[in-house]
Amino acid sequence: MEIKSHVSVRCCTLTLFLLLLVCNGINAQQADPYETLAEGTRYLQEGDLDAALEFFQKVPAPGENEEGGVFVRSRMEAAKIYFSYQDFNNSSRMCKEILAVLPDNLEAKNMLSHIETSLTPRWLRFLTDMKKYMPTLLKASSMTLLLVIITMLASPVIGLFIALARISRSRSLSSICWFYIWIFRGTPLLLQLFFIYYGLPQLGLTLNPFSAAILGLVLNYSAYLAEIIRGGIESIDSGQMEAAKAIGMTYWQAMRRVIVPQTYKRLMPPIGNEFIALIKDTALVSTIAMVELMRAADQIFNVTFNIFILIQAAIIYLIMTSFFTIAFRRLEDRLGVYENR
Amino acid sequence: MIEIQDVVKRYRELAAVDHVSLKIDKGEKIVIIGPSGSGKTTLLKMINFLETMDSGKILLQGKEVGYHKDRNNRLVLDKQEVICRFRSEIGMVFQHFHLFPHMTALQNVMEGPITVKKESRKKVQAIALDLLKKVDLLDKKDAYPAFLSGGQKQRLAIARALAMRPMIMLFDEPTSALDPELVGEVFNTIKDLASEGMTMLIVTHQMGFAREIADRVIFMDNGKFIFEGLPSDVFSDKMDNPRVKNFLAKVL
Repeated sequence: MEIKSHVSVRCCTLTLFLLLLVCNGINAQQADPYETLAEGTRYLQEGDLDAALEFFQKVPAPGENEEGGVFVRSRMEAAKIYFSYQDFNNSSRMCKEILAVLPDNLEAKNMLSHIETSLTPRWLRFLTDMKKYMPTLLKASSMTLLLVIITMLASPVIGLFIALARISRSRSLSSICWFYIWIFRGTPLLLQLFFIYYGLPQLGLTLNPFSAAILGLVLNYSAYLAEIIRGGIESIDSGQMEAAKAIGMTYWQAMRRVIVPQTYKRLMPPIGNEFIALIKDTALVSTIAMVELMRAADQIFNVTFNIFILIQAAIIYLIMTSFFTIAFRRLEDRLGVYENR
Repeated sequence: MIEIQDVVKRYRELAAVDHVSLKIDKGEKIVIIGPSGSGKTTLLKMINFLETMDSGKILLQGKEVGYHKDRNNRLVLDKQEVICRFRSEIGMVFQHFHLFPHMTALQNVMEGPITVKKESRKKVQAIALDLLKKVDLLDKKDAYPAFLSGGQKQRLAIARALAMRPMIMLFDEPTSALDPELVGEVFNTIKDLASEGMTMLIVTHQMGFAREIADRVIFMDNGKFIFEGLPSDVFSDKMDNPRVKNFLAKVL
């Protein structure tokens, strides 16, 4: 405008006309950034990413144009499109352009870290996840172990009494035990757990997940062990009972002192087997709101989609089952010291 | 001392023991011989109440024991505690030993007095060690039965029965499961016991042993006593019962 004041009116008019023309031309070349953003967004909504990208890129940097908001939004959209094309270089360039002007822009920062994660090798990411979630999984494993140990201690004792009642001469006692075993061996453990946790409250008995889990596991495993123990007792030579009675023992003295102790060794393999199954069956209590190893692994997997979490859980299960396998083998050997082999 | 009167035991139609009576005096040694399946073992087990009888009487010191009659007039065993008390006074040695495999030799001998008689461990241990010495197994006191020979097992079984201080010992074919060279040691143990005045009822197929030890020999067949007499009668050439003669001809 200062230049214009020094020239003649005609010149001034001409120049004004020309300038207007030029300005018009420039305006025609550099469209309204809002319009461009809107155009790009329209294409984006139609799903034509290439066309959208073209428009987003046309929005100038805020230096030439004071519209920072438009600039940021179009760069961000472009960055997302590039990212979806796995063009991480251009995507991060877009983000960096934003950050050059607005160093605190959260969206651009997140995008950049997202790009960084995507550029990290997958196996490295898995390893990082495994390390990150290890404490969670271990804590959950301790719950699994607690369930296993309580069931392991309780069910053989209950199973023994059910087995003794089952072979007792009392008809009613024997049939009650038969019925119990029939129910708990004949229906799925999952159903039993559901019944105890979701069903019993309707009958007025509400249990917390832990008690429900213990109750379900112990009832189920006692039934299995009762049958195994009964088989063990019946496998003892009938001469043993005769000899025990011949020195004056009562039936229960003979059971306690002579018959039952002889079953320990031969019951170790089948009972060990059941306990290995038990370790894995504890995974079922994850369905009644118990956070144990399976449930924890599942939750983490749903966040990370990292199959290594499942492998990690599998390894923890394997360590537990291996430990108990070896322990039962040792126990069996120790209980068999009186055998000449 | 012990008397059975007109005892019958049936398995379905088969009469395993068919109207048998026997009186055993204190210190007497009676040997029962006869073919397999003649009811010898069943008879022995009935005296110990391990088998129930269908009819008849068992008398201990002249008193009828062990059974009462139910509403249908059938014989029913008395309460377990009563039966156990009688059993603890009658020692029994089985053909297949039936030692408690999970207990050491010493524990086998101590088990009865401790569990049944509730005697103090200290006292019982002294008695048990004495008995093991008597059957010549003191050096095996901590061995489990599986590590003993057949003869040692049977001697241990005798010690286990003796630990209850029974008034009579029942032997059910004590040497039938043994290798021939191990028979002697068991017989010697039984003979030692006999010389101490123990009352004994022995079922055996060893005729030489029967002749040596018996005060009386009974020949049993088809659940009945066919012949009863002194060993010298049974094993003499003048034996005129054809069934007995036939059997002896086969086993001797």
